[in-house]
Parts: sequence; structure tokens; C-alpha cells
Amino acid sequence: MIQHFDPSQHDKTLAKDLGTPAPAADAAPVSVEIDGVEITVPEGTSVLRAAALADINIPKLCATDSLEAFGSCRLCAVQVEGRRGTPAACTTPVAEGMKVTTQNDRLARLRRNIMELYISDHPLDCLTCPANGDCELQDMAGAVGLREVRYGFEGENHLAAETDHSNPYFSFDPSKCIVCSRCVRACEEVQGTFALTIDGRGFDSTVAAGQDEAFMDSECVSCGACVQACPTSTLMEKSVIDAGQPEHSVVTTCAYCGVGCSFEAQMKGDQLVRMVPYKGGDANHGHSCVKGRFAFGYATHPDRITTPMIRDAIDQPWRPVEWDEAISFAAKRLKAIQDEHGRESIGGITSSRCTNEETYLVQKLIRAAFGNNNTDTCARVCHSPTGYGLKTTLGESAGTQTFDSVMAADAIIVIGANPTDAHPVFGSMMRKRLRQGASLIVADPRRIDLLKTPHLEDAQHLPLRPGTNVALVNALAHVVVTEGLEDHDFIARRCDTEAYRAWRDFIGEARHSPEATESVTGVSAEAVRRAARTYATAGNGAIYYGLGVTEHSQGSTMVMGIANLALATGNIGREGVGVNPLRGQNNVQGSCDMGSFPHELPGYQHVADVAARGRFEAAWGVKLDDEPGLRIPNMFDAAIEGSFKALYVQGEDIAQSDPDTQHVEAALRSLDCLIVQDIFLNETAKFAHVLLPGSSFLEKDGTFTNAERRINRVRRVMPPLAGKADWEVTVDLARALGYPMEYTHPSEIMDEIARLTPTFAGVSYDRLDEHGSLQWPCNEEHPDGTPTMHEVDFPIGRGRFAITEYVATEERASRRFPLLLTTGRILSQYNVGAQTRRTDNQVWHDEDVIEVHPSDAEVRGIQDGDWLGVTSRAGQTVLRARLSERMQPGVVYTTFHHPGSGANVITTSSSDWATNCPEYKVTAVQVEKVSQPSQWQRRFDEADRRQREYLATARDAAS
Amino acid sequence: MSHDQGETLVHMVNQIATNLSGGREEAEAVEGVCSHLEKFWARAMKQRIVACLDEPDAGGLAPVARQAVERLAEHQARKAG
Repeated sequence: MIQHFDPSQHDKTLAKDLGTPAPAADAAPVSVEIDGVEITVPEGTSVLRAAALADINIPKLCATDSLEAFGSCRLCAVQVEGRRGTPAACTTPVAEGMKVTTQNDRLARLRRNIMELYISDHPLDCLTCPANGDCELQDMAGAVGLREVRYGFEGENHLAAETDHSNPYFSFDPSKCIVCSRCVRACEEVQGTFALTIDGRGFDSTVAAGQDEAFMDSECVSCGACVQACPTSTLMEKSVIDAGQPEHSVVTTCAYCGVGCSFEAQMKGDQLVRMVPYKGGDANHGHSCVKGRFAFGYATHPDRITTPMIRDAIDQPWRPVEWDEAISFAAKRLKAIQDEHGRESIGGITSSRCTNEETYLVQKLIRAAFGNNNTDTCARVCHSPTGYGLKTTLGESAGTQTFDSVMAADAIIVIGANPTDAHPVFGSMMRKRLRQGASLIVADPRRIDLLKTPHLEDAQHLPLRPGTNVALVNALAHVVVTEGLEDHDFIARRCDTEAYRAWRDFIGEARHSPEATESVTGVSAEAVRRAARTYATAGNGAIYYGLGVTEHSQGSTMVMGIANLALATGNIGREGVGVNPLRGQNNVQGSCDMGSFPHELPGYQHVADVAARGRFEAAWGVKLDDEPGLRIPNMFDAAIEGSFKALYVQGEDIAQSDPDTQHVEAALRSLDCLIVQDIFLNETAKFAHVLLPGSSFLEKDGTFTNAERRINRVRRVMPPLAGKADWEVTVDLARALGYPMEYTHPSEIMDEIARLTPTFAGVSYDRLDEHGSLQWPCNEEHPDGTPTMHEVDFPIGRGRFAITEYVATEERASRRFPLLLTTGRILSQYNVGAQTRRTDNQVWHDEDVIEVHPSDAEVRGIQDGDWLGVTSRAGQTVLRARLSERMQPGVVYTTFHHPGSGANVITTSSSDWATNCPEYKVTAVQVEKVSQPSQWQRRFDEADRRQREYLATARDAAS
Repeated sequence: MSHDQGETLVHMVNQIATNLSGGREEAEAVEGVCSHLEKFWARAMKQRIVACLDEPDAGGLAPVARQAVERLAEHQARKAG
């Protein structure tokens, strides 16, 4: 059943535009009388907002509650007893005892005159206008009773202004612009890009992108904030221009990055017309990025797999079959393999893109129906060191704060993360705080865009060499300890004394000093000292980090080093501080929470823990293995060796995303049965024997958990294209394997999770509907969830400092491979690109390129745009060169969004010592000019062509 | 690149040992490595690494790693027995 928009989800502050933002909630109360109605509001509230809260709706155009008051349209003019004139209600704050009149003849005349002037330079094509039915200008003309335009329409006007269609998702029609500046202010205040401006003066004023150029040629990042803010049809989604106004909407959660933005999916029947960022979203507060806002077309792309398919061998064409046949084919093969090769010869991979409920079911299937613990998830290759490092030091495998916490931070350290590209909505919030004056320290080999934040003062960049994170964090901690910058009170109250003493002795050694490590990290001692002092003395110091921390041979050590730094300075346990991993995929936090790792049951309960295991055994009615299972890289090794024979992969593309592609391909080819469940024929599916159609986030109910431990509802807005949601497929497979699971709705799965996972005990769909979202731990102790962790104590009692010896990576530059390759992401594409490559986001990034520093290019005779062979000890691929000074000399950079690029053909099997998280961020390479694709790429193209043919043949057969 | 599983596992234990040795007494490091293997390694991987003790030069296990694997072997034997 599709859940239609439920008004009870919205309280008054969400249901309508109150005109100006809320002031601080703890401001003193002020009572005013508006049109004879008395209302008490916090000090700093505008008259416009106070009136709206009392259901007195003053006409307005330039005001909207996502932006600061501007006072330009004058439509919200009111009269205040004892004051002269007609002040704008949006820029007039309430005062005790104030008496306001919002409607009388004088105000009505004034407003009508204003509207008359606006409309004298506005096309009168309301009936055919895309904003018809959703236009504030139209509404205001109605509200003020505009009946005539005495000036006529013949005078000077903007009616012939040409529309800019350059952006693939929205058009800009300046003939309909009323120059209210809402778009310009949204670009500044909400997004922080400053791409828009008002060009010219007086009557000649127009909105201009960049240097008065097309939107696509400007700095615009297509976040949609301007479109959202526009009160007319000037900035309008092309999907609405095509389809017309939506007729109902459903609040759901974005399926892209780990920010987990809430959106209203605005629908016409079961057709998604547009995604509008939801003002009530606790993670995004009404903001969005180009992916979540616009890149949803993949969900109905013709490439979607809609029929189950099977084949005996991967060099055979697919055979389209009914669901029952595909499921029984898969189950028979799995059972036969286990009979022949043993219980541990099969396993599965859960998806960080599917819901919590689906992930939970897949690991349950593996543990209970497969009878082993061979379950893993993509967090293996991204944030598994976060789990290990934070659990060891702080006692819980998750970030400590809310996103909003950054607004209280005084010094922000960003290590190995690129929030404006990879977590754009949070990046915008961080930029807002930086504009307010917080200090910024970036530790990254690349000069990331955050350093280019407009109005940012005095940012510190520590451009360290790839692979030297731990040396750097130790040097920072050394400065804190030796310069007396520790928070002794916090350490004494909250931290384990013995571990602290051992760590202090260790970190105080001169070999950790910035001067001693300068030659290792490449960062000047003075810069390190300054950064440490800034962080330790600013007040609230907050650390944000990404895969540039975890994807190293010492990823886990670095996470612990970060925790040490936060503990030593007392930056844990309150708003504005903390250790904040920026998690990559929408539900990667959730997939870890749900027991995807081979050693942990849901809620990070170790499989060897007798009591925890006993609870699951009782609930699931089976005996569970008390030994950890295989991790993804171990599965690959075992497959090549011949002891691991079958794999069930839900919504994960290991053939593209995992390192050392040729090794992964060899492992997949060794399997007797590969079952892939995905919405597309992804790279992994090309090696599969069973292809089960997946469902997109729009087609099912469930929950995602974002990087701030926030559990958000995913709501079904259209039926699954292939007839089944992913959780239903897992249930069918379990039944075919002789382990029936009885669920009729994902809410029942969540109820089971709540019963078995102490940190989720207080979570249910009813409570999520009531609260909007809940941050775990959510249980008897924290009934409304836990925004900030470790406020009073740690789950392990006291915080534990960890010894973090720097060990240089084995992957280092040599004569044969003199450069270091590091990999990353860009804004418009998402992970392996399976979704974004099937949208118009392609116009921003249709191929992966290799960025080379001009000095490295010069010695090799490389020009911008040349084809470069990139070779490592693992393999070779060919990419187009882009000269860039964002990296230091000696470092090259690429992305992995396109499968044919083969970025992971060159990354190696080198990995984190504790978790086997691959060392994507350091690969020693050589680059040279070449004239043709690499051998791997030629093989890839050939195999890709053949597999697509198999699919096309199967499709023809099915239709 | 070698992907022989025994070799890979030896390399992994050595890497764990290197990372858990710095700034610690040897006994503490051995205990740390052993409990890491118990907590995170699959049964088959444990069996395989224990078997490496019978190879010449213990398959290339570094001293701390080797002691840790020996301890693991004792624990496994006790558990099995």
C-alpha cells in the first residue's frame, strides 16, 4: 500500500512559510497584540512571523522563512501603534506590548499599488505558466485584490528577456523575475556558493549567474536552493514544466550520501514529478544538493532490471524466468554447494544502499539459513576502521554529534574529507558556520573546495603526504601534551588513568614532535603547532573526517589518533565538539548497525558473546556460529583458493568499487553461484548466475540511518517495478532454503530489531512518525534518542587513550612507481555512478580524469587532455590527463565513478591492519603518455559488450 | 602480486603485530595480536594461520606474530578439546 501524504507529520512551523527564520528558541518571551490577537513569541521574532504563528497571514513576496529578512518588496507593510509610517513586518522585530494592525484601507491601497507596479512588468500568461497553482505572485495579486494595471503594458519592460535553459534540471526565465533577491540570498545564505548576484541598478536590475553568464557556465552547483526560494516561475524545475503541478506528496529520505536528507517526493499518481527538500528534515532543514534534488531519473530508467534471470554459466545468455523459478534455482544451487563444500563455503554481502530492515534480513538469512557468519558490507571498504577505532577508544562505533552541532563549533578540523563534494548539504552548513567566524584547519593532500569558502578568514591547510596521517595526528597530540593544552579536568573525570598515562608517555616522546615528523608528513612544524593550538584553545573544537582517514594501511590507528586528540582536549560530550566520521553511502551507518559485519550481530554485539548470541538464537530458533565469518577480501582469497563457492550480493557493486579489480574479477569468476540483486546490470552482475531485480528507495518502506545515527523513514511512493521490494526477495530466498521468515511489512522487521538490539529498543515506525526521526541509542535511558553521545560517560565507562605508533605504508613511491595516486569523489556523481550516470548529472562529469600537477606533467611532456597510462604493481589503466595544482607535486588524483576508467585496476590489495579496509588513498604509480586503452580496458569493453548483448537478448525474449 | 592465502594471512598477522607492538611491552603486544585474531578472524583463517607454524620458519611469521599465533593455537586446541 502506498502511504499518501499525512498532514499529521507537519506541525504549524512546517506546514506554511512563516516569512522569517526562527530566533534562538531560548530567547526571552515577548507579548504583542496583532489585529487584537495577543501572542507571545521569543525575542527576535519578526512581526511577520509572529502574525503567521497567530494565523494572521500578511502578504509578502521577498520574505521566506529559510532566509534572513530583506525588506525589499514592502508588501508586508503594517502599522504599529505609536510609530510613524508603515514599516515592513519582516524587518520589524516584536517588542513588548507592541500593537500591530495588518489590514486596513491604507495598507490595502499601499499593497495594491505595489502589486500593480510588479504586474505592469510581468507576463499575463498565468493560465499557461508552469507555476500556475504554485505561484506566490499570483497568490498575492489575489490577496491584495488587484483588479487593474493603470500603467498599461506598453512601457519599458523585461517581457522579452530570454530564458536560460542551460541547466539540465531547471530553467531561468528572467521575464518572470520580480527581483526579490530570494535566489541570490539562498545561494549565499543556504548554499554558500555565492554564484548569483543582482546585476545593474534600479529598473535595470536583473538576476545574474556568475559573471552574467549561463547558469551552467557559472559557479552554480545546481543545489536547487534558488529554485526552492523563487516565488514565481522564474526558476522552475523542467520536470514541472513538462508534467504540471504534482497532486500529492510523501515525505521520505534521500538514497544518496550519508547526510540522509529528508525530501517531499511530489507525485502525480505514481509518477515522481519532483523531489523538494523537506523543511522539517532534521538533517537538512530544507536544503538539498544536485544529486538528491534532481538526479532521481535513474529510478525509471529503461536500464532497470524488471525480470528475474538465470543462467548456468557466465558465458551464457540470460534466461528470463518467473520469480519462483529464479528463487528455487538459487536455493538449489546454494544447498548443493553447501552439501558438497561445507557450511562455510557460501556467504553474502549486505547493501549500504538498502534499508535497515533489508540489511538486517540479509545478515539474518546468512547467519540463520546459511548457518555461518560469512556476511560483510561495503563499509569494509570505507568506514570499518571507524567502527574499530571508535569502539576501542570511545566504546561505540559511531560519530558523536548531530550535524547541527557544527553551528556551535569554534574550531573545525577536516581530515581527509571533502564535504562540499561528498556531503554537500552538510558542507553548506559547515560553510555557514565558517562565515560566522569559526576557524578552519584542513589536513588533506589536496586543496579541497572548502578552503575556497567565500568570506572565510585565515584557513589553515596542512597539505600532508598521502599515507602520513598518523604521524600528523601524533604531532598534533604531542603539541597539546607538551605545550600544556590538555583538559586535565576532563581527563581525570572521564578517562581511564592507566591508559592515559601510557599514552602520555608515548606521545610526549620527542620523535612525535612536529619538528621530528616534518620530513615525514611534509607539513611544516610551525603549521602543525599553530593548528594544534587553534584546535585546543578555541573553545569548542570539532573534528570531521572521511575516507582520507580510514582508507589507509593505518586507517584504524588514525581513527584512534583522532579520538585521542578529542579526549586530550576535552572535546567530547557536548554540542559543538566531537569526533565526526562523514559516512559515504546513505545507509552505511545502518548497515553496520544491523549486524552486517562477520564478527558482530546487530547492535555491534560480538558473535562470541554468549548472552547476546543466546537472545538471537532464541528469537531466530536456530543455533548460531560463535566464530566470526569471512570479510569481503577474505571471501575473494578463499574463492580463488577454491574453498568459497557462492555469494549472495544485495545492492552492492564489488566488481567496480573494490580495489585490485583483476583480483576481484578472478574471485567472482571462481564462484559456482553468484546471486546478484540490483536495480541495474552492474559490473558484479556480469559475473552472476542469478540476477534478481532490486527496488529503488521510492518503491519500498523502511528506514535509513545517516552519519549522525539518525534513523529516518523511507516511504514507498510507487510500486516496485519488478513486483517485489528487496526485503520480500530475501524472505522468499530464506523460505526456499527451508528457513521461513514471516513478515508482512518492514515495520515488523524493525520491531524485531528493537527487541534484539539494546540501542534500538525504543525505535518503532509509530515513534518515528511521531518524532520525524530518532538518533540511536534510543531506549529506556534515552527515550527520545541521543543527539550527542558520551555526555555523562562512555559505553565502556571511561574513555580509553590508545597507543598510535606511526608505521609507514608498504605502498611507497619508488623509481619504478615514483608518484602516489589518491582517489576521491566529485559532487555530481555518486560512488560507482550506477544511479547518477543514468541521469543528466552526466553533463558535469561524463568521464573520470587523472589530475596531474603541472611540474610532474612537464617532466613527462604531458599536456592537458593527453591520454595517460597509469601503472601500479596491480595493473594498468588509461585516463585522460587534467593539469591541476590542487595536489602537491608527486601526487596524482582520480575518481572511480565510471567502470571503464578502471581506477580500481590500479589500486592494490594493501589494507588497514585491523579491518582490511583497502588502502585506496595511497597507490604508487607511474604515468606516461599512451595512444590506446589498456589491455584491461580492451578486455573490459569486449566483456561489457557481450554481457549487454546477453541482457538485450533476454529482454527481447521476455517481451 | 601474490594472492596465496597462507602468504596473505602471514602478511596480515605481521602487519597487525607491527601495529600493536609500538609503545607496548612484548607480552602486551602478543596478547593484543592473539585477541585480535580471536575476535576478528574466521575459523578457516585461524586454522590456516595455525598450520603455518608447522612450515619452515613458521611461514615467515615475525617473532611477536609467531608467539601470538602459538597462543591462538593453544586457545583453539583448548576450545576444541
